[in-house]
Amino acid sequence: MRVLPRPRALAASERAVRPYSRWTPYLFLLPYLLAFLTFRLGPSIFGLGMSFTKWSIVGSPAWIGARNYELMQIDPRLDAALKNTAFFTGLTVPLLVITSLALAIFLNQPRRGRALGRVAAFTPYVLMSTVVGVLWTWLLEKDFGLINVYLGKLGIGGVPWLMSKDVAMYGIILTTVWWTVGYGMVLFLAGLQDISAELYEAARIDGAGSLRLLRHITLPLLAPTTFVVLMLTIINSFQVFDQVYVMTSGGPGTATLTLVQYIYTTAFQNLRMGYGAAIATLLFAILITFALIQAYLYRRGVRGVGS
Amino acid sequence: MITTKQLGALIWYILLALLLVLMLAPIVWMLSTSFKPETEIGTINIRWIPRTFTLENYEKVFDRFNILRWTLNSLIVSTGATMLVLLLDSLAGYALARMNFAGRDVIFAVILSMLFVPMQITVVPLFLMFAEVELTDTYLALILPVGANVTGVFLMRQFFLNIPYELEDAARVDGANTLRIWWSVVLPLAKPALTAVAIVTFLSTWNSFFWPLIATRTDASRTLPVGIAQFMSLRPGQAQGMQAYGQAMAGAVIAALPPIVVFYLLQRYFIEGISMTGIKG
Repeated sequence: MRVLPRPRALAASERAVRPYSRWTPYLFLLPYLLAFLTFRLGPSIFGLGMSFTKWSIVGSPAWIGARNYELMQIDPRLDAALKNTAFFTGLTVPLLVITSLALAIFLNQPRRGRALGRVAAFTPYVLMSTVVGVLWTWLLEKDFGLINVYLGKLGIGGVPWLMSKDVAMYGIILTTVWWTVGYGMVLFLAGLQDISAELYEAARIDGAGSLRLLRHITLPLLAPTTFVVLMLTIINSFQVFDQVYVMTSGGPGTATLTLVQYIYTTAFQNLRMGYGAAIATLLFAILITFALIQAYLYRRGVRGVGS
Repeated sequence: MITTKQLGALIWYILLALLLVLMLAPIVWMLSTSFKPETEIGTINIRWIPRTFTLENYEKVFDRFNILRWTLNSLIVSTGATMLVLLLDSLAGYALARMNFAGRDVIFAVILSMLFVPMQITVVPLFLMFAEVELTDTYLALILPVGANVTGVFLMRQFFLNIPYELEDAARVDGANTLRIWWSVVLPLAKPALTAVAIVTFLSTWNSFFWPLIATRTDASRTLPVGIAQFMSLRPGQAQGMQAYGQAMAGAVIAALPPIVVFYLLQRYFIEGISMTGIKG
């Protein structure tokens, strides 16, 4: 991420007399700020407050202090949701970063057909999450799904993808990687365009081979992009919901129950709004922790190499 | 004798072909299944081109599901949200970038800080709010919250920071007021940023699932993603009748084709919009 440029000092003509009235800036900001306060900042604070209440949709809320948070510590479903979300993130993030980086480097070569390759790799990302979910539920079907039919030909029989506790999460991870790999690729391709061709030429004249170019020029100079992709995929992975909702609804049992899926069932199916808000606050705490760790690492390491 | 160069080209083409198959085969299979009768769907004989070509699945989808209504809802909501965001964000971004006023930096910092707050935390209160004023199941409930987005304001501000002051000064000398300058001098210059914000907003609203799932209760008010989810979530995780898959694929094709076509036509803008918000957001 780049350091934000500050607004420039006012132009000479403006410095003398401010050419707009005192209230003009606030009037320009007002429509957005109204929306921001009503639909973003307000609800965030309200949500935090709700996490200290017991609130079903009918009836009025009751203040119960930190009870929801105490409840969390002995809630086996929350335990499962945390573990599943961590597992999903732990596997999806490296898979996505590595494959999208490899794709970008592969499709950055000046060869015929690379534009076609880029379009193909990005196409799944254009699909809406629920289309992807429905499509992969069919592809992963146990008896007649395309994937199992081909696996059968290789002698691997009937993997019960979405119906088994042991493999259901892998099915969702596979789906997610296929769906979003093009997004990371686009970001990496943009990063690759910023690396000057002269660097490669100079290194080649010095006798460096392709692997050394990759290791000593491409990867270090891509570090800021890698950082951004890593951060975005971690944040998105922790909030995984759509595919899970469509493909398994968190099942079988709690095998694919993720944090956001659990927020959804708690608040909107079991109508325990207060407890749902408390889990959402926990998610917030996790994400902010990651953001802080990343900001710290960024300051320490990547900046020196990259921009 | 094969030269190294030829070998390199050969490997390139093999890998490229593999990539095309992995990324596109699922979509082709979706298309293929949607045109198959039930008997051809429940079989381990893979036929990419259906032996008997049928529109039966599509007829049933149009017959049993409100899919046209969902599409219309999605179009209205995405268009409305995009226009709202363009208006609010270009006004706010202009003030934040080009004007000096008390509290400017604090306001901007508070706006940016919301990037780290997951929207799930706002969803429960938002639902209660809209239920309180009896606006669930309306377009307003789906459009208004999008107006509070952060990336749009950020992008517009970044863009406005870099336009030269001379143009505004000249317009001022000619007697134009600030609103007039914003509308007829600054906005026309900001077309690239406005396009990027419009594309990203439209796409994310079009694909948005979590909030519309919660905010809509009746079938006629659903958006396309929420409607499509119904095809499979009736009996999640369990074996379904093969017929269900035919219809699900037909529904998926109807939902998938417009975005794919638009993407192929407007590729460049898509990619620019995504890399702009990704890198700088």
